[in-house]
Order: sequence, then structure tokens, then C-alpha cells
Amino acid sequence: MKARKKVVTAADVRLAKATGQSKPAKAKRTPTVRTIKSAIVPVDRSARSFSGRPRVETGSAAVADLGAPLAARPTLVEREALDRIDLSIELAPQRGLRLPNPIMVASGTFGYGVEYGEVVDVQRLGAICCKGTTLRPRAGNPPPRVTETPGGMLNSIGLQNPGVDAVIEKYGPVWQGWKVPVIVNVAGESIEDYVEVARRLDGVPGVAGIELNISCPNVGKGGLQFAIDRDAARAVTAAVRRATDLPLLVKLSPNVADVRPIAKAIEEAGADAITAINTLSGLAVSADRTRAFLGNTYGGLSGPAIKPVALRIVYEVAQVVSIPIVGIGGVTSLADVLDFMACGAVAVQVGTAIFADPELPVRLGDELRAECLRRGLSSCAPLVGTALPKRTGAPSAKGAEYRP
Amino acid sequence: MTMRLVSAELVESRQILPGQWIQSFHAPELATGSRAGQFVHVRTGDYSGLVLRRPFSINTADLVTGIVTLHFRTVGRGTEWLTRAREGDRLDMLGPLGRPFEVDPRSRHLLLIAGGLGMAGIRMLADEAVHDDRQVVVLFGAQSASHVYPSSLLPDEVEYVVATDDGSLGHHGFVTELVTEYEAWADQAFACGPHPMLKRLAALAAGRRDRLGVAKLGRKRGGGKVDPLGSTAARRKAFLQVSMEQTMGCAVGACLGCTVIGVDGPLRVCREGPVFAAEEIAWESIA
Repeated sequence: MKARKKVVTAADVRLAKATGQSKPAKAKRTPTVRTIKSAIVPVDRSARSFSGRPRVETGSAAVADLGAPLAARPTLVEREALDRIDLSIELAPQRGLRLPNPIMVASGTFGYGVEYGEVVDVQRLGAICCKGTTLRPRAGNPPPRVTETPGGMLNSIGLQNPGVDAVIEKYGPVWQGWKVPVIVNVAGESIEDYVEVARRLDGVPGVAGIELNISCPNVGKGGLQFAIDRDAARAVTAAVRRATDLPLLVKLSPNVADVRPIAKAIEEAGADAITAINTLSGLAVSADRTRAFLGNTYGGLSGPAIKPVALRIVYEVAQVVSIPIVGIGGVTSLADVLDFMACGAVAVQVGTAIFADPELPVRLGDELRAECLRRGLSSCAPLVGTALPKRTGAPSAKGAEYRP
Repeated sequence: MTMRLVSAELVESRQILPGQWIQSFHAPELATGSRAGQFVHVRTGDYSGLVLRRPFSINTADLVTGIVTLHFRTVGRGTEWLTRAREGDRLDMLGPLGRPFEVDPRSRHLLLIAGGLGMAGIRMLADEAVHDDRQVVVLFGAQSASHVYPSSLLPDEVEYVVATDDGSLGHHGFVTELVTEYEAWADQAFACGPHPMLKRLAALAAGRRDRLGVAKLGRKRGGGKVDPLGSTAARRKAFLQVSMEQTMGCAVGACLGCTVIGVDGPLRVCREGPVFAAEEIAWESIA
């Protein structure tokens, strides 16, 4: 009792202090900050003059990195300028899936959005793609299910999930209260499964869209067979399109020879956007080298190791489809985000990197905003597609040009 | 306490056994909020190569000084990187995570069983039990005398019994062979170590009542109410609780990577565990 009383009095004192002395304290603090600023600025300038500043890693520093000689934190003016930048993007122009910013979290790495709790402010994300959801509950693959590989990780979760009805019941009300759009990742064993899940999600408050997972490499049936075949991809996309009016994303697999016909087929079948890419099929060996390490033998490779593959596929797909592309694969920094955008992605998903740095997706949003301000852009649209080959006007009259 | 991201400053790093280290970190947020059995997820330095955090049991936590220690073995690049950390370095830790050991308030005699590095999993429970005036026996198994956890690192009040595979110190054989001598004395047992050891202990615990001839007389504890498997109340009543290990991704329950097979389906080591009542685990699935 005594201790509790003490705490109360201490809080009272603090409260009294805060209310009574707030004005003089403020007046004191402001000049101090200014002196520090002016002390830092010359150093900053000289450092930049010969080498340019190294890319900053942390969020607050990134926000401060506005090009102008400003230290520590953005002032009110810069903050207003930052707020004026419109990072929002439209992923489904016909149906409406507006994301507050282009940094999404990838399916399977963020659970249902609630797991990271107070560590991550989910409301500041562009969108959440929830764990792959199937019609019936799935127990997933035998353990072990994850292992680290150079610059990446292998996982073979095997779509463990409680089934679409349980997901709707448990998380729907939570998502409804969020302003961040939640996109439900949908998997299935047959076209009928996909259609039924989509039908049940249709009209559920809190579900902003569907991401069709036709590319999971870790399950026997219903995994890859839809993503590696153009006609199957077209059929499943079209069937889901008929079943629901929700914005529809389709997630491509990199485990194919040429992704472009598949992407085209998906676009023609009525998808609103394309997500590229899912994991690459891989394998790890146990420590004693007597068997495969993962319980499921094969796993999906993700992380920085697959970024070049993901960039290549985004680059290829961007040249054959006109619907928005969401880039995913090894995003760990603002530079990666800009790379994906340059290759034609309007948004990116962060996946594996969340495990090491849960705050990264939110921070990338801040960094992207600061980058736009630094470049004098009012939105991030001009960053998209800058690395794509320049379109020439009419086809060459000198003969057909063949590019494999 | 809920998990949080903590910047922990390395205060001391020392090698206590060949390849085994204890590192002390100043992290008051972790020290005050954590309980025995919980763990932290430590971010390694070089993200370009090592993309996952590393989970470690909280070895000890000192409320007064705010010092948390981790006990680990160098098994790969992540732990090797950790041994190269210097005093004053700040490490990014996510924690405390997972559910702790649940000690029945009526238990007076606690049997703690550790195999090798499993000591890291139960070490803090010894502190808590001693603090609560419970009697503690620690059974410890290792390959040989050179791998035996130093008794000086345990609280003085603890009875420490050692078994080695080669007989170079203490009992010659597995630590599980010592359990029968103590199972009548113990009110509850808590174990951490290799999965085969835990599997053997679970089998021993399942047959304990019959061996001891415990009669079920009078009212049942809790008036015959059956607590759901995995609930805190059910765990508190369980004779054996085990701390399990699994390769881990997110450590917050999002990725479903760290599962072990339970009797009712997959269980996440990071969320439902790492401590489980022995009855929750489908031991036949564990090699």
C-alpha cells in the first residue's frame, strides 16, 4: 500500500509540474535545440561536399535527410511539406483499393496483423496481406519448417491456417476497426476451393481485397500447378473474378520458365493487380547430411538472396501487362523499394526482413516520403518504371525484332 | 509484460565452457518483465547474410541491476558473431517472448532437469524457486566432465546432481536415469534439453503415478474441473513441464515456422511455448 501511495504522489507531482511549468520549460528547451542544430550543420555540409552522405539506416535520420542542411528532426515546415506528399496508390482502379502508402507486409510474415502487437503500429502500413487462408483448416507441414540460408531463409509452413470461416470470425471484427486495408491471401486445392473462399470473403467488413496465392511451393496439391500453367492461371483467376467483386491480386511464382504469358493470362482473366513474386523452391540438408533438413523436404526461398530474381520478373511483367504490379522479394531498405519501383512496381511488400526488423515496413514508408520530398515530388508515381526500356513509337519497319 | 524492442548493452561476455558463453546485458526493460522460461529474439549484426534473429532463453534476470544474461553455444554464424560482440555494444532484442514455466503455488519440491545447453532454459527457474523458498534439485546431464555447467553459477541453495555420458563426473549414464530417485520427492518437474531427453522424461512422468502407487483419495484438486489443455491452470497442475526448441522465424506467432506437433495439432513454440506441459506434446512425432 505504501509503495502504491508513493507512486501516486510522484505522478501527482509530475502532473503538477507538467501543468504548472509547461510554458517556461518550453521556452527554455527550444533555444537549446537550435544551438545544437547550428552546431551540427557545418559538419554536415563539409561531409556532404566531398563524398555525399551515406544512405541512412534509421527512420528518424531518414526523415531528417531532406537534402537541405537540417539536423535531427524535421521542423514544422518540413513536416507540413512531408504531409503534403501523397503516397497513396490505387491498386485496383476499377474496384477501388486505395493504400495510404505503397509499403505492404507480405503474406505469411505478418500473421493476421495482430501478432506483432505493440511493436509495430499497423495503422501506418500501406496494407497487410494476411496468412494464406484455405477453405478448410490446415495443419501445415511437419517441423522443422524454417531454416536460414545465405542471405535468405527457407520455409515450408504448408499453409497452416484455421480455415476461412475461423479467420473471418476471429479477425474480421479486428480488421474492421483498422484503417489499414487488409488483403486476405487465398489458397486452395482446386478452383472450387478458391471460388468458395472468395465467395465467403465477399462482403465481409474489414476485408479490403483478395490476393490469390496460386504459387505456394510448399504444398502438394493446390500449390504451384495453377501458377506454372497459363491456362490454369487464367481459369482460376477468371473463376474467382466471377465469384467476387473484391479487388483481386494474383501472386506469381518465379518457378517457371517464362512468366510473361502467365501474367498476361491473369490480366486478361480480370485480375486487378499482380503480385510478384512468391518464394523460389529450394532445399536444405540436415547437419548430419542424412536427409533434407525441412520436414517437408522442399521449402520456399525468400530474403535478400532472391531480390535479383524478383526484380527480373517485375521488370518482365511490367512490360507485358498494364495492371498495377506489387513487387516483393528481398526488400530490406529504401534502395530496394526504389529498385522495385524503377522496374515497374507501384507498391512493394516486405516479408522476411520483418523477422529481423519488425519496424522496417513503417520506417520504409517514412523514408519513401522523405525521399519524395528530397526529389521534389508530390507523389511517388514518377518513381515507377524509370528503369524500364523506353517504348519506341511504331514497330520497326525494318523487320520483326525478337526478344526471348 | 508484453514484448518490446529493446536495445541491450553488452556488459560482460565470458566463455564458461568450451564453445559455451554467458553474456550479460544491461536491459532493465527485459529484466523486470520476464519470467523463467521466456526468451528473447536477438538480431544479428550482418543482415546481408544472416536474415533471421536468434532465439535465446533468458538465463538470469536481475531486477535490481537490470542485467539479463544469455547462455549459448556457438553453433553457427549467428552465435559466432555474438561472441565477437564487445562490452558497450548494443544489441537489438525482441522480448520477453513466449510463456513461462508455471509453478503450482503449493509445490515445495522442484526437480529441474537439464541436458547440456538446456541449463539455459531452467536456470532462471532455480532463482525464482529459491526466492520463493522452494527446495530445488537440479539434475544435469552432459557428455563429459569438461562440459558440466559450473556449480558456482548456480544458487547455493540448490542441490546439484550431475550425470555424464562417459562417467567422467557423477553418474555414468543419461540424466534421465537419475529421475526415478527423485520423482517421489518432487512435487513438480521442469526440463529443458535435447528432444530425445524430453521424450524420455515425458514417458517417465506418464508412468510416475503407477510406480509410486499414488492413491487418488478425497476431492480432486480444483473440484474435478478439467482445465483445457495448454491453459495456464492446466500447466500449473502438470507434473512435468518441458521447454522445447525449434528453428524459429518471427518469434511472435506470425510465421508459424517454429511448430512442434501437439496432441491437438501444431503448437507454436514461440507463442504456446516454449514451455509446454508434457501432456500437450505428441511425443511419438518427436524423433
